[in-house]
Amino acid sequence: MTTFPRGRGIKAAALLASLGLLLSACSGDGGGGGSDLTAPGPDVLDGLDEAVQVEFWHSMDATNGQVLDELIEGFNAENEGRVEVTGSFQGDYDTALAGHRAAIQQGETAELIMIYDLGTQFMIDSGQTVPAQSFLDEDDYDTSTVEEALLNYFTVEGELRSFPFNNSTPLMYVNRDAFEEAGLDPDSPPTDLEEIRAAAEELTVTDDDGTVVQYGFGAAVYGWFIEQFMARAAVPYCDGANGRDGRATEVLFDDPKVIELVEWWDQMIEDDLAVQIGRNTDDGQAAFTSGRAAMTLESTGSLGGFIEQSDFEVGAGYFPLVGPDDPGGSIIGGASLWVNGEGHSPEEVRGSWEFVRYLLTPEAQSVWHAGTGYLAVNTEGYDGPEAQERAEESPQFSVAASQLADSEINENTAGCMMGVMSEARVAAEEGWEAALTSDATAEEAMSEAARGVSGTIDEYNESVED
Amino acid sequence: MAWGFLGPSVVIFALFLVYPLGRTVYLSLHGNDIIGRPNRFVGLSHFTEMASPEYVQVLITTVVFSVGVVVPGVVGALVIVLLLEGVIRGQKFLRGAFAVPFAFSVASASVIFAVFYSPGNSVLNGILYRMGLDQVPWLTSQEMALWSIVITTVWMNLGYGVLVLAAGIGSIPKEVNEAARIDGATGPRLAWDVTIPMLGPQLFFLIVISTINALQSFGQIHILTSGGPVGSTTTLVYSIFQDAFAYGTSDFGRASAQALVLLLVVLVCTALQFGVIERKVHYS
Repeated sequence: MTTFPRGRGIKAAALLASLGLLLSACSGDGGGGGSDLTAPGPDVLDGLDEAVQVEFWHSMDATNGQVLDELIEGFNAENEGRVEVTGSFQGDYDTALAGHRAAIQQGETAELIMIYDLGTQFMIDSGQTVPAQSFLDEDDYDTSTVEEALLNYFTVEGELRSFPFNNSTPLMYVNRDAFEEAGLDPDSPPTDLEEIRAAAEELTVTDDDGTVVQYGFGAAVYGWFIEQFMARAAVPYCDGANGRDGRATEVLFDDPKVIELVEWWDQMIEDDLAVQIGRNTDDGQAAFTSGRAAMTLESTGSLGGFIEQSDFEVGAGYFPLVGPDDPGGSIIGGASLWVNGEGHSPEEVRGSWEFVRYLLTPEAQSVWHAGTGYLAVNTEGYDGPEAQERAEESPQFSVAASQLADSEINENTAGCMMGVMSEARVAAEEGWEAALTSDATAEEAMSEAARGVSGTIDEYNESVED
Repeated sequence: MAWGFLGPSVVIFALFLVYPLGRTVYLSLHGNDIIGRPNRFVGLSHFTEMASPEYVQVLITTVVFSVGVVVPGVVGALVIVLLLEGVIRGQKFLRGAFAVPFAFSVASASVIFAVFYSPGNSVLNGILYRMGLDQVPWLTSQEMALWSIVITTVWMNLGYGVLVLAAGIGSIPKEVNEAARIDGATGPRLAWDVTIPMLGPQLFFLIVISTINALQSFGQIHILTSGGPVGSTTTLVYSIFQDAFAYGTSDFGRASAQALVLLLVVLVCTALQFGVIERKVHYS
């Protein structure tokens, strides 16, 4: 019987272990992109032996996911033998973005991906995608029917970077039954903070012991709302003209307008006119649909669910202003579609674009808007049969579109473009929440939160400028 | 020949333990590009950054949470099992019933508690209201949120504790109890002086396992509060997650440094428990 000498065995084990370290040291380079990322013409799809496979990563589940699947099926049926799209649900927006980062590291990105608004600057900096503009130029695509506010958001340095698709704006929702009981007019919901407070005083119902059974107002502490309030007050969210003229270096959500908002919110809770919700938007939705809060703030995308889940009549109005003299305006939210070029063949790139072009047709947009409540990216979609039927059933569906149409197009309503936008949103939420749940004043809490973001911005900017 | 047999386990050990650990150390010493690839050596700066009030708060939260989960969890399971000893009819059924929480996944248990706690619509507050009691801001107050998660976690852990201790109690030799009874020990005296010492090994096992579990808790925090309000429920594990994956960040360097701190904390806790408690454990 032979045995290995002990010494060599230990060396082998050590070698194996250090191999791991070595491998990890090597994985640091490669990738980065920056090569020739332009749109191929339609001829690349001619005379294919078999259909080009396009994998589409998205974050649409439940009702919205089903509507999306219908659209994918419709496209595949039209393009048999040319392009075949497979939808793949990747979890919520944050999870999908984390998944996409991992995919970039491994060089295995999907052909087409849905990334939320806050990830826009990151997507540009990671240099993996073919700019949307390049497809428009190649096909002489006419964007005049595409919602201008959406183009405004996704255009950076004069170039459309991605295709808007599932987009929304927030609205103010009211419980019409509660309004009527309180002797208020549900057709003219409050438009600014002071009016909301006045209405809430009428809407709040207490029992004999002084416990509140119905609050006037209740919404989640959601950073997107701060962004909306600022846009409507014509205040930029970050410097560098909202990051559109150059890289932003600081956030401005310690603006007096925001302080006013947070102080108002705190006082509403203090005076038992608003219910304390926390940061989870599901809880805000539940407080409204269960009738606990008679007014709330939420995305247009929630309208369908609100109507379905509540046993009272749901009304919708424009998102409120901080003060009555604010000019108004509205930033969009939601996600856009990005075509990955790095590591993909021209056929795959072209196939992805053809699918996107299908999604942007009035026919597809009519189905999409009616099924989900998201905006019709192509405004001709509102004239489609599905959208028309929906508008007749529930006129609230048109509020979002008119709010957007009434909105001025400028840098404030374009929203802040910044690589660490999601961290900034979280910081704003934390400052806001700190003011509501501790002794810190709104001013202290918001300026501390804003200062905290500066370091993160610097780190990000350094890491992309190297 | 010996290495031939040892080989597979060495490979697995290297692949799943040595390599990840080495990789974590490597990442903790490097900064990332925006995709999360390590691209520059930063020395120990991720570790020195941790010497901040925020991070100390995270450690305090972690300790409070762990103690808050382990003590009531173990004591609760012990009390239940001891009380059930006195029940003759339906003892097995009751033990099973108390062990049921063990069958719940973290996610489903958390979702159920999310409904209980939901701000504005809390089921628990509804019950309190019917009883004429004050409403509790379960998840929206910085003081209360951590305890709400503790309650959830204790409930989830109780089933496992009951299972382990019930099995332990069943394995205590009858003669020991009979001898104690002949000497006149009954009720609490019997439990305190005979049953609990005889359960020593199971209790020790339970304390070690639930401490490690508590330190690694993630799902219930993620589902119930996402670390808030204002970081009041951000434990070490949750802080790692936030730096590495949440909010579109991918600061794997800072997250890896924290992971090493977590490893150290678990190691020290376990070593302490073995050094202090295990000496008192009686193995029959």
